[in-house]
Amino acid sequence: MITRRAAAQLIAAVAATSALGAGTARAADEKTLHIGINLPLTGADAQSAKRIQQGAELAFDQANAKNEVPGYKFVTQSYDAATATAGQYDPVQAATNARKMVSDKQTVAAIGPQMSGSGKAMTPILSEGDLATITPASTNPDITNPKFAAQYRPGGKPIYFRTVTTDAYQGPEMANYMAHDLHVKTVYILDDSGAYGVGMADAFQKQAEKDGIKVLGRDRLDPKAADYTAVLTKIKQLNPDALYYGGVSQAGVKLAKQSYDIIPKVIKAGGDGMQTPELLTGGGFPAAEGWYATIAAPHMTSDTKAADFMKAYKAKFGDAPEDYSITAYDAGLVIIHAVKQLIAENKPVTRSNVRDAIQNSKTPTIQGEVAFDANGDLTDRTVSIFQVRKDTSKPLDDVEAQFHYIGVAPQA
Amino acid sequence: MSELVARSPVGRMCRAYPEAWRQPTILLLLAAAALLFPIYHSNDADIDALANAFAFATLALGLNIVVGFAGLLDLGYAAFFAIGAYTYGVLNSFQLHPAWSDSWNFAQTLGLVAQMPGETGGEVVHFTLSFWIALPLAALVSAFFGVLFGFPTLRLRGDYLAIVTLGFGEIVPIIFRNWDSLTNGAAGLNGIAAPRFWGHSFGVDATPYYYVAVALVALLLFVSARLRDSRIGRAWMAIREDEIAAGAMGVNRVHYKLLAFATGAAFAGMTGVFYVAKLQTATPDMFVFNVSIMILVMVVFGGMGSIWGVVVGAMVLQLLQSWWLQDLTGWLNALGNLVGSNWLSHINLVPSIELIFGIILVVMMLYRREGLIPASSAPTGLTFEQQNATVNLAEQDIRLPGIGGTASSGAIALRVKGVTVRFGGLIALNAIDLEVPQGSVVAVIGPNGSGKSTLFNVMTGLVPAGGGSIRFHGDEILGLPDHAILKKGIARTFQNIRLFPTLSIMQNLLIGQHARLRTGALAAVLHPKWSRREEAAAQDWVREILKVFGNRLTPRIDQAVSGLSYANRRRTEIARALASRPKLLLLDEPTAGMNPAETLELAGQIKKLKELGLTVLLIEHKLDVVTTLADTVYVLDHGEVIAKGRPDEVRRDEEVLRAYLGRNTQAALAGGAEVGAHVA
Amino acid sequence: MTVFDLWLQQAINGLSLGAMYALLALGFTLVYGILELINFAHFNIFMIGSFVAMWVLQSFGLSGQSVVLTGLPLVGVLLAALIASMLFAGVLGAAMERYALRPLRGITGPAAMITTIGISYILFNIVVLGIGADSKNFPNPLPPMKWHLGGPDGAVLELRQVLIWAVSIILMGGLWVFVQRSRMGKAMRATAQDPEAARMMGVEVDKVILIAFFLGSALAGAGGMIFGLYYNFTSFIIGFTAGLRAFTAAVLGGIGNVPGAMVGGVLIGLIEAFGGQLIGASWADVIIFSILVLVLVFKPTGLFGRLAPTKS
Repeated sequence: MITRRAAAQLIAAVAATSALGAGTARAADEKTLHIGINLPLTGADAQSAKRIQQGAELAFDQANAKNEVPGYKFVTQSYDAATATAGQYDPVQAATNARKMVSDKQTVAAIGPQMSGSGKAMTPILSEGDLATITPASTNPDITNPKFAAQYRPGGKPIYFRTVTTDAYQGPEMANYMAHDLHVKTVYILDDSGAYGVGMADAFQKQAEKDGIKVLGRDRLDPKAADYTAVLTKIKQLNPDALYYGGVSQAGVKLAKQSYDIIPKVIKAGGDGMQTPELLTGGGFPAAEGWYATIAAPHMTSDTKAADFMKAYKAKFGDAPEDYSITAYDAGLVIIHAVKQLIAENKPVTRSNVRDAIQNSKTPTIQGEVAFDANGDLTDRTVSIFQVRKDTSKPLDDVEAQFHYIGVAPQA
Repeated sequence: MSELVARSPVGRMCRAYPEAWRQPTILLLLAAAALLFPIYHSNDADIDALANAFAFATLALGLNIVVGFAGLLDLGYAAFFAIGAYTYGVLNSFQLHPAWSDSWNFAQTLGLVAQMPGETGGEVVHFTLSFWIALPLAALVSAFFGVLFGFPTLRLRGDYLAIVTLGFGEIVPIIFRNWDSLTNGAAGLNGIAAPRFWGHSFGVDATPYYYVAVALVALLLFVSARLRDSRIGRAWMAIREDEIAAGAMGVNRVHYKLLAFATGAAFAGMTGVFYVAKLQTATPDMFVFNVSIMILVMVVFGGMGSIWGVVVGAMVLQLLQSWWLQDLTGWLNALGNLVGSNWLSHINLVPSIELIFGIILVVMMLYRREGLIPASSAPTGLTFEQQNATVNLAEQDIRLPGIGGTASSGAIALRVKGVTVRFGGLIALNAIDLEVPQGSVVAVIGPNGSGKSTLFNVMTGLVPAGGGSIRFHGDEILGLPDHAILKKGIARTFQNIRLFPTLSIMQNLLIGQHARLRTGALAAVLHPKWSRREEAAAQDWVREILKVFGNRLTPRIDQAVSGLSYANRRRTEIARALASRPKLLLLDEPTAGMNPAETLELAGQIKKLKELGLTVLLIEHKLDVVTTLADTVYVLDHGEVIAKGRPDEVRRDEEVLRAYLGRNTQAALAGGAEVGAHVA
Repeated sequence: MTVFDLWLQQAINGLSLGAMYALLALGFTLVYGILELINFAHFNIFMIGSFVAMWVLQSFGLSGQSVVLTGLPLVGVLLAALIASMLFAGVLGAAMERYALRPLRGITGPAAMITTIGISYILFNIVVLGIGADSKNFPNPLPPMKWHLGGPDGAVLELRQVLIWAVSIILMGGLWVFVQRSRMGKAMRATAQDPEAARMMGVEVDKVILIAFFLGSALAGAGGMIFGLYYNFTSFIIGFTAGLRAFTAAVLGGIGNVPGAMVGGVLIGLIEAFGGQLIGASWADVIIFSILVLVLVFKPTGLFGRLAPTKS
């Protein structure tokens, strides 16, 4: 039996070991620059997150190999923004990771997050720490909206930069496509209760109404629940032309399967949350067939400009990248370019300076010249539309093969 | 290993250290280590992790009050954590922004709100409740919900109580997730302001949060310890050990169960404010079922009821997640790179924390239910001398003030009239009439199943009556709850002995005085002089009472009652009833299971009590005890009084003999005379 | 789709859900009836059962819904998966009883229940860590047959819904017959009422309890396979939501009461379907939990339960 005295000794021993073990003095190497990568590497979105991570890492590995910035080495540090409890991204974990990045003095910039819910939790902390992050996939417009500056950048300066455009364009441009190209008259809207999904659905809804599409109703899915038949039956009875889903794959996959059974003839569309391999592996065919999805970037993976990148990526990682791997790669290029700029101007490579440099940068990348507006948003507003069309000649879980590129979404 | 340490020079030094100074010194060292930590170890992430660990320690302390002290298994504790967190979050973020009007000016001068330009033009209110005000505010709000959620569980036992609390624990985060306008739903509240101290914001630096956490842990440890060692803590433990006995000894179970829920909830509410202020974000997923279970694991792991145990348990498990699993992962990965194992170099142990929780629960339940640092309970061992001491029942000059009534003999202390009790279709008592004169001993006898214990139960409020009246010194007590009846002056023992097993004799008897002491929760924590005097007087009273039993119980006063002999446990139960300063003592088969010598001794002790002015109502089977002690005897059979009178009268009553011994009256009469000859 | 069709369809949805919850509730209530133990691990055994069924079906070369079988091969494949999932789950449950719960059998207090919580966590996390958190496509060889009730746009009854009901009724009926008619069933009922007396009458109480756990867990395993066939997916989290519903169903019907669990399951399924139609899916959980709390507070014996158990 542990007596109180023994317990006190135990506590002291434990404390001593922790003090020794946890804080091994890290030899401060000024020439090593840490880049924090915050993505949901486990859970429902793990595969997409991995592709994004790999895109970013490729940029820095190439820079190190080519000695792009003489005297400096980039070291990427990955943080998992997902938890087992949520089964997918967890904003609280993202906030914790943001604190960790801010407290690591060697971190000069960050890449991520993937999910806007994480972004909203991270930005106040990043802003106070004056650490810039470039997100290759987070599309919720609120984070860079100056109206919410007090909430998302209390420090004043923008720290959230994007190499994708926002849902201010993604959802609405899908509405335009539905109205003009698909001739949809009525629509029912669902979201998955997350920040990204709700934002997408809201933006889509506003534009749909402007385009003259009648919104028959709006409901919410619980990502953890298994059964959506009740709400789908309700939708069936209302008989809309189309169904729009704002949200990520955890609910999206189940929605795809069940809506195929209950409302097979309805046109179905989602945002970049549905443009994922999970829809193909978890949803499978025929459930995934015919789904429309958008991404908040130009479609580049079949572009000639991306050929070198594709080759290098496949050689290093073995699997095929997705469009957001390229935006992640481009984000890396922006950071590297910013650091180079600072050195050329003889300024010290600190986080604040890096942030300023990123803000003012004009970087040649695969998706074209990347520049940011005063809020940190990408100046290019291209949204691309895809549709799932089964191609039996290629692997059925290959996003490249099964998501057929339709074109750039109509901007009005 | 500990032997080696003990014999080393360090060990010898430790033992030479004065006993009385040991605990304060250890506490001082711990406090110093905690306060100096951020100074000699300036890694911000580590300080943050330790602050989180402290936050979970306070959560564990709160749950410990509910589960460990009061024995109420709460599987939805995180609900209170959530309530406290959102109270601060909603009142300190941009979520609520009603339109500005002049009625907000006063709040603005108090610093509770600020003015802000709205989205669509005009001015709106921006809530800026101070962290320091939010702490006690959230404690109150959470305590309120603690009472609200505790209320439906009051009459439920064990598992059902757990399930209802689980239900509430699930409902709260769902409501937060769905109530978009208040909480921003699943996306969560963001941009929650950091605390400010003397005009400086805490910002993103972990150190100020760390010190707040240390202060919080110290405060709640202090409160827990004070409560534990007070009348409140004893009442909780009584409820945990034996609810029925607790009620019979005057503990108002409703009051104390709700107090336990409220106090535990308050701890969680305060922690919620701290946690969310540090994270600057709050989402419903932070408070799901897993979190409740995690806190339960910490309490189980550390030791239910042990305040240091749960603190250590919480910190160990938190640091496991934040530090050690990551370090271990790093080492394994390095090892993997070294030996070229792909699996090892990519393994990540951090997500396995929940698996570890599950394993801990199972292992602890199977092999060490008392936890890492068991709650300090009374020892059950006796020294050799104590076990072999000769019994000494020397007549000490015992005066027991406050026991017995002051009314003149002859007045009726207890008048039972027409009391009927039904259990479904069975009539257990049928219009019973019974009178107990002041200062007398009345015995109730009868065959098994005649309703004797039921009579006691209806007198003490354990069982409802279907009609009739019971007047005690003129006051109607039928229908009163058990603790109120004790307060009026009726104390009882139970047929199958209901003591509080893990508590000592002293603690059992102190609980017996529960209704006579006045120290409440506030006094328990603040410990004013009058409360300390009251406690000392109570302990003196306990020693007085134990003298009734000579030196049978006195040497064992600090032993857990579960280790006592059967006869001693009976005596302890009677002593506990006496401790409540009763005017009427109800003894339910006090000599059951005792041998003739012990029976005689106890009968003598009861007689002595009667001489001191106590009125006694006694259920007995041993007719010789009845004959010696009782002034009046009532005989029950099938729920009815079939005879009443002096012992010798009743013994010869035909009805009685038929009821006890069967139809052959002649043989019974002859047998009765035989028995009489032997006993007298 | 007319209003009548809508309600008919929701009723069909609700009844199908209900059958699944009933099956889950049944195994759970069986154990409670005998041991008065709330077995939290039951619902993760259900989840594991569905994975086992998935692997068995995949081993036959089936994947997704593209491969459809009929006739004997269909029955054979489904039977194989059913038996495999029931056996695996049953053994898992029995092992849990034998090694983790039997040592705690005499202990009063929540020790045994806490142990089942621990085991539930262990099972859940083994799946999360070992297999991953994404949804898996469940192979479904059933031909997608449908019957239209009413017009072509009316309510639809699918083969898989009929199948769920068929399997559930067979299993529940089988259990009922077993408990009421067989010797072991009688022994179980005796143990449920008074273990001491049963032991004195020669009943091997240890064996009875072990078999009860085996049966209850096997039912959970069967439920897992049915879940996979119905929804065409399975994942680590299914025990969580389905479990909550089934648990409430057991309590509603009267915990420990076998026919009560069936009725309770159907009721909860219908409430979920109609509630989803009327109020919205996001409030369904709150409704279900409120039912749980209200039943336990105001009528702990449920709709059909016996008198409140006497264990203190």
